[in-house]
Amino acid sequence: MDSLHAIGFYVSSGVLLIGALGVALLPRRGLRGAALAVSGLGLAGVYYSLSAGFAGAVAFVCYAGCALMVAGPQYRTVEAVAGSAWRQLGAIGAAMLLAVLAFSTFRGDFVSATFKGGPFDAVALGRLLFVHDVVATEAVALLGLLAIAGAAAAWRLRERAR
Amino acid sequence: MTAGLVAVFFVAGAMVAVGVFGAAWRRDLSAAVATIPLMFAGAGIAFAGVARFAAAGGAGGSHLLGQEFAVLLAVAAVALVALGLGIAGREGNR
Repeated sequence: MDSLHAIGFYVSSGVLLIGALGVALLPRRGLRGAALAVSGLGLAGVYYSLSAGFAGAVAFVCYAGCALMVAGPQYRTVEAVAGSAWRQLGAIGAAMLLAVLAFSTFRGDFVSATFKGGPFDAVALGRLLFVHDVVATEAVALLGLLAIAGAAAAWRLRERAR
Repeated sequence: MTAGLVAVFFVAGAMVAVGVFGAAWRRDLSAAVATIPLMFAGAGIAFAGVARFAAAGGAGGSHLLGQEFAVLLAVAAVALVALGLGIAGREGNR
């Protein structure tokens, strides 16, 4: 990775992590949606600097959609029943997970190889998605369809019950 | 200046940890659902990084498998957020 790509990677990573912290910590749903959009932009930059331009474009569109849904005013607030002790245990667990992942990253021994794809190899990736691994692609498409249909059904049932 | 697989994994691990933290810390379930894409982004970054730095090149597109999985993870994240917010229900602004 040359200097320009490395700078792009680190800047995009900073944008991504700032957006992610905003999603986790900001109080209002509009702010959380904006932070999720910022993290999607950072994620697209990270993917592009990793020579995955097509994945970056798809991720940006998907995360922009997530941000619109999260920022929308038309869903209600559902309070969790877990107590604050469990929440704090979860937060400590997240910190321990970060420590374990960082430790395994620094202790790991990686094999490196030459990357032969271009920065935006959409044709080869499309061939992989729709020819070689078409079953996995269809499975994720089915998951998306079922999720959106399930969301619509849940919404209608709730509206009818009111 | 250079960036290797260690830096990529560190960013990926930080994203997963921030997502887990948000999911555990948020009292509002619909806010916790918004952290699902963060965890998926961490996994996608790790896959794309492995595809970029450590894949066996030249074996008929196998160097793109990580990117493929990153695309599928992004699509799955949208689906799960839609489902989570749909189950949480839609009402007026509270």
